[in-house]
Amino acid sequence: MDELVQQEWIRDFEAAARRTLEERMRYAFIRTYKPVLDDAPFRAFATTADYRRWCEENLPSWLGYGRSV
Amino acid sequence: MAGAFEYRQAREISGAFERYHVKFLFIGKSGAIILGYPDTTQDADVFVEKTAENGRAIVAALAELAFRLSDQDRLEIESGKDFVQLRDGPFDLDLVFAPDGIETFAEAARRAVVVEGMPVCHPDDIIRSKEATGRVKDRESLPRLKAFRDWWAQRQKA
Repeated sequence: MDELVQQEWIRDFEAAARRTLEERMRYAFIRTYKPVLDDAPFRAFATTADYRRWCEENLPSWLGYGRSV
Repeated sequence: MAGAFEYRQAREISGAFERYHVKFLFIGKSGAIILGYPDTTQDADVFVEKTAENGRAIVAALAELAFRLSDQDRLEIESGKDFVQLRDGPFDLDLVFAPDGIETFAEAARRAVVVEGMPVCHPDDIIRSKEATGRVKDRESLPRLKAFRDWWAQRQKA
């Protein structure tokens, strides 16, 4: 990994550590509509493999839940 | 649509799960964020032990937190599914009973870290689970998450 990128990440980590957990969470958790995924109030999958397969087959690839875009 | 997950809700879910003796750990990016990882995510993920007793406790705690569950939903949680998505509550929540890359809940619980009373998977376990999924969004975030794990481990020693 590029040394400059690594240094930038470390600066990010140190800056975050100076904030309270409450502040960090305010910046970290966002909410946008995710098509298909957010369209049912409840889903249960018998196995994690079933869940991964469902994501591959049903979600738009750009959401990133699949193994390839 | 539920709003974004907030600090107050993280405290509430921890409190309710503790009152009902739910065995749980925050996991995924939400867990990493509680540990101090600066990034963004949309929902909260909790790793919950897969037992009938824990399933019943989860259902009771979720009712207290105002998640709306049908009788069938409650049965699904209690009967031991591996993965449950909840989108009909005060915030979005994923119940992960069998995360990729982690053998047992007991092992993860032994390595867990507690932040302001909230139990969180060790960064090594969060990384292991993300490596095992093979998902695009996890592959992209892993180098930075690993750099955070190394930085975090150094701070723990200091």
